Amino acid sequence: MIVTYNWLKEFVDFEMTPEELGHRLTMAGLEVDNMEWIGAGLDSVVVARLISVDKHPNADKLTVCQVDNGRETVQVVCGAKNHKTGDKVALATVGTVLPGDFKIKKSKIRGMESFGMLCSEKELGLAENSDGIMILGEDCPLGGAVFDALGLKDVRYELGLTPNRPDCLSVLGVAREVAAMVGRPLNIHQPNLIEKGDNVAELASVTIEAPEACPRYAARLIRGVKVGPSPEWLVRKLESIGQRSVNNVVDVTNLILMELGHPLHAFDFQRLCEGRIVVKKVAGDEVFKTLDSAPRSLNKSDLVICDGQGPVALAGIMGGENSEVVPETVDILLESAYFDPLTIRRTSKRLNLRSEASHRFERGADVAMVPLALNKAAALIEQVAGGAVCRGMIDAYPRPVAERKIVIGIRRVNQILGLDLKMEDVHAHLGSIGIEAHPADENDEELLVASIPSYRPDLEREIDLIEEVARLNGYDNIPVTMPAGRMICHLPPRHLKEVTRLSNAAVAAGFREIVNYSFVAPGVWDRIGLEADDPRRQPVNILNPLTEDQSVMRTSLVPSLLETVARNLAYQNQDLRLFELRPVFLPQREDVLPMEKWRLCAVMCGRRAPEGWGNNDEKVDFYDLKGIAEEILELFNVEKVVWDGSVGEPFLHPGKSCTLKKKQGVLGTLGEVHPRVLGNYEIDQPVYLLDLDFDQLLEAAGGPYAFKSLSRFPQVSRDSAFLIDEDVPFSDVHEVLNKSCGKLVEDFILFDVYRGKGVPEGKKSLAIRVRYRSDDRTLKDEEIQKAHDKIVKTLVSRLGAEIR
Amino acid sequence: MREKLVAMLDQGRKALEAADSADALQEVRVRFLGKKGELTAIMKGMGKLSPEDRPVIGALANQVKSELEDLFVERSRHVGELEMQKRLAEERVDVTLPGRRLASGSKHPVTLIIEEITDIFSALGFAVAEGPEIEQDFYNFEALNMPKDHPARDMQDTFYINDDVVLRTHTSPVQIRTMLKHAPPVRVIAPGTVYRRDSDLTHTPMFHQVEGFLVDRNITFGDLKGILTTFLSQVFGKGLEVRFRPSFFPFTEPSAEVDIQCVMCKGQGCRVCKNSGWLEILGSGMIDPEVFKAVGYDSDVYSGFAFGMGVERIAMLKYGVHDLRLFFENDVRFLRQF
Repeated sequence: MIVTYNWLKEFVDFEMTPEELGHRLTMAGLEVDNMEWIGAGLDSVVVARLISVDKHPNADKLTVCQVDNGRETVQVVCGAKNHKTGDKVALATVGTVLPGDFKIKKSKIRGMESFGMLCSEKELGLAENSDGIMILGEDCPLGGAVFDALGLKDVRYELGLTPNRPDCLSVLGVAREVAAMVGRPLNIHQPNLIEKGDNVAELASVTIEAPEACPRYAARLIRGVKVGPSPEWLVRKLESIGQRSVNNVVDVTNLILMELGHPLHAFDFQRLCEGRIVVKKVAGDEVFKTLDSAPRSLNKSDLVICDGQGPVALAGIMGGENSEVVPETVDILLESAYFDPLTIRRTSKRLNLRSEASHRFERGADVAMVPLALNKAAALIEQVAGGAVCRGMIDAYPRPVAERKIVIGIRRVNQILGLDLKMEDVHAHLGSIGIEAHPADENDEELLVASIPSYRPDLEREIDLIEEVARLNGYDNIPVTMPAGRMICHLPPRHLKEVTRLSNAAVAAGFREIVNYSFVAPGVWDRIGLEADDPRRQPVNILNPLTEDQSVMRTSLVPSLLETVARNLAYQNQDLRLFELRPVFLPQREDVLPMEKWRLCAVMCGRRAPEGWGNNDEKVDFYDLKGIAEEILELFNVEKVVWDGSVGEPFLHPGKSCTLKKKQGVLGTLGEVHPRVLGNYEIDQPVYLLDLDFDQLLEAAGGPYAFKSLSRFPQVSRDSAFLIDEDVPFSDVHEVLNKSCGKLVEDFILFDVYRGKGVPEGKKSLAIRVRYRSDDRTLKDEEIQKAHDKIVKTLVSRLGAEIR
Repeated sequence: MREKLVAMLDQGRKALEAADSADALQEVRVRFLGKKGELTAIMKGMGKLSPEDRPVIGALANQVKSELEDLFVERSRHVGELEMQKRLAEERVDVTLPGRRLASGSKHPVTLIIEEITDIFSALGFAVAEGPEIEQDFYNFEALNMPKDHPARDMQDTFYINDDVVLRTHTSPVQIRTMLKHAPPVRVIAPGTVYRRDSDLTHTPMFHQVEGFLVDRNITFGDLKGILTTFLSQVFGKGLEVRFRPSFFPFTEPSAEVDIQCVMCKGQGCRVCKNSGWLEILGSGMIDPEVFKAVGYDSDVYSGFAFGMGVERIAMLKYGVHDLRLFFENDVRFLRQF
């Protein structure tokens, strides 16, 4: 909604500066999104008279004018065509800065000197478009500032209104708030309406067949109008709030709409069959052409205005092409009605057809404004378009809207707001915006009964009035306090705590957290090569996605991570370690809501250590990521995990991937991304990926670690290297070692894996270091040797190992 | 004998002074003071002296021995020091060479801000709650006093899964879920991901919010101002002006939009605050009685307030990030700055 400083002044007498008014409006809940000074800094654009207009000697399309600016005569070169000797024009003198930072300088145009510019309305910021320069009225004082002469200096406020305040969708409504601020009366001028000739009731009729959707419908008939351009004041007034002039009749209805907030519609009366108006719901499905020439498919829930034949307007939204006012129109039937908000809203939403009228009706217009808006508009049409207003007004009002009463308790007001207001304070605040209130009974000092004016449909309950009191009293005047209350202890849910723990672990391992959209393209499952029957191909679909690429909810984090890797590589960000810890969405047949399962997906590629003089350029491999997975499992105390290399994911390299299993549960997968999938993402280097099921991880997590006491005795280690068949997995070796270690063994590590010179084909050499230590004594050489021999012997007998 | 001893002292001193390494010193010590050394040999021959000469020469021999020993100690210390100096000089490194680093990880700025907000409210006694991102219309709208066909639904463009299931447009449904589960008093914040069907320079279809609410007896609008003012001064620093102005949310009444003095221009007016000097940072209000009705709280006994804020917006203002889309591009050059 746009209002201007000057227009508000027509309704209230106030002394605030434009800045102060802007601030007060915002603080009253009518947020000023933008403030624009019209004509500010343009005092050097003055009223001047054209003494002579001659053709430019060197240019066909230019004129050379001698201009009297009130003090002297100057020469100006002008490119317009619509000016002649004697006209009063707007001269931007040298030094003026026009809107758009356009500075007027003394110049030479095709050899002729020019001292200023003759301006068009567009150049002065008064209109969006203009033909030729502005020709001013004779009454403008020569040499005076144009904006002062025209009374155009103004400030435009663009208000961002909340949907609960339809009353402020008009200059009048905003003025009511201003009046409350300054404690002055709101002046509503009654129109000076002259009725002539026949009574409207003899010529036209209004029938309301759907009174629940149209409680009130009033109409007036104006005959013999001449449709044409609007007078300048009307054009300017509409332009001041950003509206374009159409013709005098339409302009009047728009002016009243903006000023009083009540939508009106003008019909060409001669095009209304039988002069009848019937308000009813559409009988069956039909197509109706609105005045923007668009065909609209209507159904039974839509309310239409019909004549004797059929629909002539879509009630409260837009008129019909078949009855709109055209240049030839002479008789006008003017509609001022009140429509049910929900009816209008449903139709306007379904047809996706929004208008200034529907915007107001669906939020709630003022039923009491119906006659005033109609009379004011009729009087204005007669004034600007001629013709005569027929006697009488049709006012069909089958279901008068009852006045709402709300009881408001002073104690409650103070309880909610933390204030200490008296009854008279509340009474005064409500009164300032036209809400009459009186004590519930004579001796009651607690309760007030408030009568809610019809322009405030949003006020329905006591709390609504409490908000009005808070607003009018000023939020600034509510003291800042801290709540007093009982202590309670709700620890965060386990899930949240563990999410933080896991993400801390990933960060500690050098990974950066990323956040991707939860929706992806339906094609991503092909890109990562999921099988046709993979359940992850059945995502939750969005009915109304913004784009196809964001139309299904993720069932896996993998595609987003690969995309992120590809994007970063394209930006030359190498050596990536990224993770995402967020939910995926899996449809549930038996539940209303899908399942949201959190997963951790981590990827790494590039160098193992940051590039630099002190590090070699070794690249990460499978075992780097496996190490990180092991650390995570250790952090959560998950024991006895099986790394099963026989099953993996279709998007992983079958020879370099595995599934993490514990008992029946699958914790996740780990491995190098399949070269074909990397190809799909145009990634040209190996990428390693870990995909963990967070819930399974929590399920598998053991309790906190138990402390083990520390031995004070020395540790002794023994190394052994042995040859073993290439196809014996280390897990077998590990198992044998685990079982053959006696109680003297503290731990053992695999410290080398070697193939090549000295190792026969089909074999590999493993080097193991076993560390011995006792809790209660220093171990003797002989007992260590004995224990170690036993381990070696078991390896030989159980695995066919050959000691090197 | 006397002359011999005096000469030996002189020789020994010279030899020690000439020795410039620990090994050379040791050699000199052995030569004079060792078990088979020259001085030892003399001292062994003392028995042959006359009883008159013996104490005199003995004293002199002892004096020579002690002097040489002292000198040896002193020279050892000196040579040790020299050797240490030499070694240290040889071992000098260029300390200005860059250090050897490990790969460093980082949290997403959205997570960092959520953690910061959560910490502040935890200190104020608020618990953390969560809810589903795909939500029933009832929790997202209906119970929050936004029945179907309510114009307020236009304030939030919604992604639909079906007629009754939506991608939550705010974290407020967690308020409903929590209140249905717990009786007052409750003090809860709910950080989370939310979705709106909107995408341009200043909107992404997915973003993050933190919802918070407090319900107890005698909670006033003044308390709302108190908690939020405290919170904002923790996030943006003390001395920052905060203002509360009337607004509208279907689930609160009275409602307030909370502005802070523009952090970029300190209220002078700039591009970021559209020359107003203020930045919208929070939506808030006293919980609407309709909401209490939906969750079975008695609004005659209890009152409370609720608030919601955009995490990315706070991150942008706090870190000076100018482009919202950067949060979802996951460019490492962006991520490594947090």
